[in-house]
Amino acid sequence: MYGWIWRHLPGNALVRALISVALVLGIVYVLFQYVFPWAEPLLPFNDVTVDGQ
Amino acid sequence: MSRARNRIAGLISVFGELLITAGLVLGLFVVYSLWWTNVLADRAADKEGAQVRGEWADEGPGALDTKGGLGFLHVPAFGGDEILVKRGTEPSVLNNGVAGYYTEPVRSALPQDEEGNFTLAAHRDGHGAKFHDIHKLKNGDPIVFESKDTWYVYKVYKTLPETTKYNVDVLQPVPGESGKDKPGRYITLTTCTPMYTSDYRYIVWGELARTEKVDADRTPPVELR
Repeated sequence: MYGWIWRHLPGNALVRALISVALVLGIVYVLFQYVFPWAEPLLPFNDVTVDGQ
Repeated sequence: MSRARNRIAGLISVFGELLITAGLVLGLFVVYSLWWTNVLADRAADKEGAQVRGEWADEGPGALDTKGGLGFLHVPAFGGDEILVKRGTEPSVLNNGVAGYYTEPVRSALPQDEEGNFTLAAHRDGHGAKFHDIHKLKNGDPIVFESKDTWYVYKVYKTLPETTKYNVDVLQPVPGESGKDKPGRYITLTTCTPMYTSDYRYIVWGELARTEKVDADRTPPVELR
């Protein structure tokens, strides 16, 4: 999978490395900004109130 | 190697890479939960806290107002940080690094009320983790609430290290489970326990010991010095 992505990135090794870093940062951004905030309330780690629900 | 074996090896390596990826994503989620939400929440709470202090300074001493925030909670056992107190215990309130007072299922009293129970919730971990050190509170420890014009000094008299989330009676105006049977001016802190999960709730009760007028320099009461 990662090998396949690497082979399909354009440019020489340096350019590919830079694109890879940008891709990784983009994915981390999407996770922190959208995916984790969505997932967090669905997981039982952070309910602090007594509410009987 | 034959073509078929190559194919199988390829599938296995993709599967392995997916597993590694899943592990990395879970690791990132831990980083998010325990670090990044604190960064965001502390930033929000600092801003809102400064706003409340700004409003107080502009208007000078006077009546209590609850627009931006009610006031600040100071708990020496938690370290030196002040905790902004706001209305409500929904995630949208608590996730900004504040403590919220209950509006339901049992409505909280406010500190200036003649009698009642001032009931608060805040996060144990993540989102500012304002009640992270709740287990450090022992009987006799002070919990000080600072409103615009008054310091309310409460003393802890009872802790309940583990109860269920269904135990809403801990919030009653006279919290019977703490051993009280007469109306008084109580404070109740609730958060989740054990740390990093929310299987149970941790409860701390305090009772008002005395109040002090806020002076021009906002000199803190002796418990905070």
